[in-house]
Amino acid sequence: MSTASKITTLNKLSCAIFGNIYNPNGLRTGNKILRERLVGPTINSYYPNVKQIKLREITRMVPEMNLIDQSEKVRLEDLSEKKKRGKGPPKKGQGRRSTLKKK
Amino acid sequence: MPRARIIRDMKARATVASSEVVRQAFRYLTHNTTLPAKVRAQAQLQLNAFPRDARPTAIHNRCLETGRGRGVLRAFRLCRFQFRLKALEGELPGVRKSTW
Repeated sequence: MSTASKITTLNKLSCAIFGNIYNPNGLRTGNKILRERLVGPTINSYYPNVKQIKLREITRMVPEMNLIDQSEKVRLEDLSEKKKRGKGPPKKGQGRRSTLKKK
Repeated sequence: MPRARIIRDMKARATVASSEVVRQAFRYLTHNTTLPAKVRAQAQLQLNAFPRDARPTAIHNRCLETGRGRGVLRAFRLCRFQFRLKALEGELPGVRKSTW
């Protein structure tokens, strides 16, 4: 048994004993990717987890309370007011763009 | 309500965290030169098919107060000006203005 073959058998044996992968040519097996730590939990915990509860969620969960979203009410009132004055959305084909094309 | 950029970054972070394990598996396949070339090419295609936010490089540390993306001190998660304001207010424990 020559010295070189002895060394290779020794390396193989030591790999088998210590649970390493025998890779004498240094092939890229992608093991370094498996060795990487998962960063998801740390990445996800950067911003403090403060969930803001919206009024809409409360009304959806407990409809019996009859809570009124004041800003939504004002918005709908404004819309109906505008519609009365003829400032509502134009009908299909009556908007600015479609009338421009016809000319 | 947080700033729009912060919301965008939160979304990216959630995407990265949820798709990380599968992505790493595909990354392993592409980096393993002992596998057949066809398998590796398919894994590369799969990696490209992930949404843009699934890559860890899509996330960017932002200031918690202002949402600023530059000059953010990592330890305090604040941009430099907010850090100064809060430190002078004494809201950051252990931080003191030094003179010499």
